[in-house]
Amino acid sequence: MISEFFVLSPRGDTIIAKQYRNDRGDVGAHERSHTEAFFRKVKFWSDATNEEEYEELQDDDKAEDGARLKRKGDAPPVFLMPDGMVYVHVKRNGLIFCCTTARNVSPNTVIELLASIARIFKDYCGTLSEEALRKNFILCYELLDEMIDYGYPQVTRTENLKSFVYNEPILVEHVVNTGNLVNPKTASASAVHKPVISSVNENGRKSNVNANQKNEIFVDILERLNVLFSNNGYVLNSTIDGCIQMKSYLAGNPELRLALNEDLVIGRNNAGSYGSVVVDDMNFNDCVNLAEFESARTLSFIPPDGEFVVLNYRVTGEFPTPFRIFPSIEEVEPKKLEVVILIRGEMPANHFGANVTVEMPMPRCTAAASCNVISSPGSGYANAEYVAHEGKLVWTMKKFPGGTEQTMRAKVTLNQPCTTQMRREIGPINMTFEIPMYNVSSLNVRYLRVAEAMVGYTPYRWVRYVTQSSSYVCRL
Amino acid sequence: MAKFVGNNDKGSDSRFFTTQKKGEMHELRMELHSTDRNVKVDAVKKVIASMTVGKDVSMLFTDVLNCVQTGNIELKKLVYLYLINYAKTQPELTLLAVNTFVKDASDANPLIRALAVRTMGCIRVDRITEYLCEPLSRALRDEDPYVRKTAAVCVAKLYDIAPELVAERGFLEILHDLISDSNPSVVANGVAALSEIAETSGKDVMKISASVLQKLLAALNECTEWGQVFILDSLAKYTPADGREAEGIIERVTPRLQHANSAVVMSAVKVILSYMELMGSQNSDVIRALTRKLAPPLVTLLNSEPEIQYVALRNINLIVQKRPTILEQEIKVFFCKYNDPIYVKMEKLEIIIKLVSEKNIDQVLLELKEYATEVDVDFVRKAVSAIGRCAVKLERAAERCIGVLLELIQTKVNYVVQESVIVIKDIFRRYPNRYESIIATLCDNLDTLDEPLAKASMIWIIGEYAERIDNADELLDTFLETFEEEDPAVQLQLLSATVKCFLKNPEDTQDMVQRVLDLATEESDNPDLRDRGFIYWRLLSTDPEAAKMVVLGDKPVIEDDTFKLDPSLLNVLIGQIATLSSVYHKPPESFVVRRGAGETNEFDDDDDDDDDEDYEGGGEGEVDLLDMGGLGIADGAGGAQSKERQVPLQKVCGPEKSGGLEISAGFTQRKRKIRLEIEINNISSATEVASLAIQLNKNSFSLSPASQQIVCNPPVAKGSTGRTFCELVINANMMAPPPAAGQPVSPQVQIAIKNMTSGTVFYFAVNCNFEALFSADGAMERSAFIESWKSIDDRSELYGTVSDLPPGAADIESVQKKFLQNNVFFIARRPVPGAEGQEVVYFSMRTVSEMEFLAELTFKQGVNACKVCLKTENTAYGLLAKQALESLLRY
Repeated sequence: MISEFFVLSPRGDTIIAKQYRNDRGDVGAHERSHTEAFFRKVKFWSDATNEEEYEELQDDDKAEDGARLKRKGDAPPVFLMPDGMVYVHVKRNGLIFCCTTARNVSPNTVIELLASIARIFKDYCGTLSEEALRKNFILCYELLDEMIDYGYPQVTRTENLKSFVYNEPILVEHVVNTGNLVNPKTASASAVHKPVISSVNENGRKSNVNANQKNEIFVDILERLNVLFSNNGYVLNSTIDGCIQMKSYLAGNPELRLALNEDLVIGRNNAGSYGSVVVDDMNFNDCVNLAEFESARTLSFIPPDGEFVVLNYRVTGEFPTPFRIFPSIEEVEPKKLEVVILIRGEMPANHFGANVTVEMPMPRCTAAASCNVISSPGSGYANAEYVAHEGKLVWTMKKFPGGTEQTMRAKVTLNQPCTTQMRREIGPINMTFEIPMYNVSSLNVRYLRVAEAMVGYTPYRWVRYVTQSSSYVCRL
Repeated sequence: MAKFVGNNDKGSDSRFFTTQKKGEMHELRMELHSTDRNVKVDAVKKVIASMTVGKDVSMLFTDVLNCVQTGNIELKKLVYLYLINYAKTQPELTLLAVNTFVKDASDANPLIRALAVRTMGCIRVDRITEYLCEPLSRALRDEDPYVRKTAAVCVAKLYDIAPELVAERGFLEILHDLISDSNPSVVANGVAALSEIAETSGKDVMKISASVLQKLLAALNECTEWGQVFILDSLAKYTPADGREAEGIIERVTPRLQHANSAVVMSAVKVILSYMELMGSQNSDVIRALTRKLAPPLVTLLNSEPEIQYVALRNINLIVQKRPTILEQEIKVFFCKYNDPIYVKMEKLEIIIKLVSEKNIDQVLLELKEYATEVDVDFVRKAVSAIGRCAVKLERAAERCIGVLLELIQTKVNYVVQESVIVIKDIFRRYPNRYESIIATLCDNLDTLDEPLAKASMIWIIGEYAERIDNADELLDTFLETFEEEDPAVQLQLLSATVKCFLKNPEDTQDMVQRVLDLATEESDNPDLRDRGFIYWRLLSTDPEAAKMVVLGDKPVIEDDTFKLDPSLLNVLIGQIATLSSVYHKPPESFVVRRGAGETNEFDDDDDDDDDEDYEGGGEGEVDLLDMGGLGIADGAGGAQSKERQVPLQKVCGPEKSGGLEISAGFTQRKRKIRLEIEINNISSATEVASLAIQLNKNSFSLSPASQQIVCNPPVAKGSTGRTFCELVINANMMAPPPAAGQPVSPQVQIAIKNMTSGTVFYFAVNCNFEALFSADGAMERSAFIESWKSIDDRSELYGTVSDLPPGAADIESVQKKFLQNNVFFIARRPVPGAEGQEVVYFSMRTVSEMEFLAELTFKQGVNACKVCLKTENTAYGLLAKQALESLLRY
């Protein structure tokens, strides 16, 4: 199994490193040359085929080509290094979590393990950042001790680890992470950045976890949309990746029951009656008891501590897309284009898209562009401009109410007369957004309750629906 | 070294990263000896912080060790963490901690008991290991499952340090008992430890019986996700007794496909796929049902994080090759998303090409065309190349694909044009004389071409279709101006194309061909170019008609290469689903470092290189001996020597040819695997011989190495002799052309070996001992034997007499036994009527390549000789088979 685990900072410094097997021979535990080599490889990833080219170019010192090999996209998560070890890594919040191995292991296991480690560090430290890990590195070593033994994953459930941990987390101020999936605007309350165990603050004073702990549970029904439109507004390809996520701070860890739509159908081939919610596939967390799922679409489980995914699902059938994009490009003069993007919000009027961004790449020879936004009432602040260094038209809207239409007109001036080749450089239009309290699949939580009712036990339940764009693209 | 300075460090652990003053080590030492426990704990934390950032703190060993005797579990953990990392450097001092370990191992607190056992197992110091056995043996029977599960893993640790101790103490048996433990975590770790020991030792220590199987299946439902992976992986290695059992297990495994952890899903897929293989074709309904069940979980994996997607896609690539039906309806999910990382996009493209069919080609072409306008150059090139590969794969869609390519060429984007030219050359080779109409468009873009491969492709097209291009000679002429600066691949193509052009239109190109031949033969120092130049020159000067036949002859049509993994390799890799092997598409031996096999491991980390191979440059095959054949299968059979016949090795290569090595080699068969035994006598090579790469030329026996890498363990130093071997497999592509009618085949196998340490390549030939190829499944029914015997013409019988046999070798019983060991199967014996004391014995044998041979041996009592008569349909091999029997008799 795995030989070594380490976490690197965005600059490549080792934050945490633990060796489980000495497959690398007898080198000191402090020896770090391999993690440095690994970091260089990840940072300046290029295929082996380009390696020669790289050297050649270095010899020739061709400045203009230098830019091309700066980065050839992200490194794949699994690769072999010249030291004969396979390095498997994932990136979380800018940190690189990596394992090395000398054996023919299951890469899925290693990747899932790395993801679990990142999750547990976050659960215990409150946030996942370089600072948080540095401040809590002894705690992290303690956790690692229990999570992996001799390279084999052991306990990776947050609550099961509690009894082995003696250090208390030191809190760091939560910095809003802009790279995160969840938009900070609607991101969870500060409550979800609490470590799962009692913590000490910066001055070493202990904060009592029970005193201010509310008896609460957060439930997110999160759907990420992948939609591809043709230029006349037809949907070419569409999927929903959905999941139900929870973060539980319930005292006493009671068993919960979660009920989904009664008419939920799983499997495209078992088409249900008209109007039923059909998902292609669904998978569940380990802790979920499915005894009543077939009959009543009810799940029962004892929520593990910390953040966890109750279930994932996938929908590929037709579903109402929340936004429809209608682009048009006209050549008004040989060197002038007029671009119009009309977007119709098709979700119900009581919902709105938040933080909507629409991007449209323009030809390289674009000289200037002036944009004009025609907003309908009810929408928030909107702005559109041509960002020259990215070569894109960027149109942002704070709020996009359902049932309205928004239009952006741009007059683009080119350096050269427009050719078909230049027309090809335009697009595709990429749209990102988030729709709070709305989900496209109409999968919903009928109820969430404690299985055995206890007198005076009233947990706060925060149920939240969020629809996000994952890849929402319109081709031209 | 102070890398991190927090804003407000007071009270937080990060302050341990900051103190870097002069007498820091001294200061730390003082703190470690402090009587205040908190100061002590903080000091150890500082030590560990230094270790983490890459600072050597081994000099504090004694001081840290002094802290070990403590009741404070937090401090104990810290000290143990330090000890694990530095024990090796101070083995003597580490012994001082033994008492604490032993005491802790019988502590009342199970956490401390487990901690002690776990830590001791990680300290690889021999004398500590001695003390480990007692506590370990107790821990394996501990009442607390946490201790038992830790102890189970510890057995694997011990096996790594001292396998003999594990055997001596009967730990394997205890481990086996743990499979029946009441706690699923203990079961899981027991399974993990046993699997690891099985892998390291090459022995089946797992021994899955019917009852063990039931326990594993029961534990599968209860243990953690990781435990499920361990159990599923060991199930995948198990071979069910029959289809019913396989079906039963699959039924229990199928619910795992719904697991949220992709590792569980992949391992479950692996079990199901391996068992499907075993169930064979008689269960086609069951297999169809399973196929349907596998698709949704595989597709779901594509909605996970990109890292998981990448691994899943590499695996799916294998799965669609093996069982195309599983995902044939799902091509849409492999369409690239705008925000997929490039490594995911590249893999998706590979799968799209594998799933493309006449039904979905229009949809696919639309997608590919779209990809060809994206920004990432590598991805665009791959998309363009994919369009060409679709054309090669689907004859009826070829025209549409070409249409798209032409459209893309119109964009004049440099790399798009170049890539298009390269794939169009392939399309021409697949469908000769069908789409020449597009040549004009290609010729318009000549000046955009600056990459060797694109240039070479274009020149090939010009040469091949010179008669249809009005100004072919002028076009070539423009290239010739820069002949000397061109890449060798372009030079070779220019040479061939000019010669083709000359043969088609001798009048106008006489001068040009002369100039090219001069350039190639006199100006160039590239031997390939010179040789090819001379061949053309001689051909043209002696017999232009013959030259025409050779140069302009029909070329073999290339094949669709979509399903190009060798089937035997594919089968091996399907068994390796959900391992790194399936990500690399290489058998595990080729990248897993073997213990003690030297620390260097030659491996180019281009995991794509099987996919990127291009078709052979032009019509003329350039043969690089080290680049022939493909990857083969192999599985890591241990090198256990049995008491089988030792093949006499032939001296095949002297030290003068191979940089100071003397090589002896011979073929043999062990455990049903054909092997090339190699003895290396290092006479004068200064470097140790640690690893070799091998390649076989096409030979009469279709032999090909299972793995191109041979490891010499231990390495052969100067003045010593080492023995190693290479497993061989049958690969139909490696078949040499048959000899002229009536001639026997050549027994020679030509071999090239590259000494990876010194880089020397040397060539030699070994005569094949034919008996090494006799298959263990070659036994024949008596009736079938009589049938064949009669059906073969008497004229193709081969006779011979073996005399001067060693004493006792003419005893029929012992011959029979000896033959059986070598897979020559006894059919019948009977006395010869009318000849007192004479007996005939009939034998049959079949080679691994399915050639049958029938033999009649006549013995006479008291005579040390034997008459051999051999019959076969494969007359070309008859002589070899006869010689094989004779040598077996003599041995």
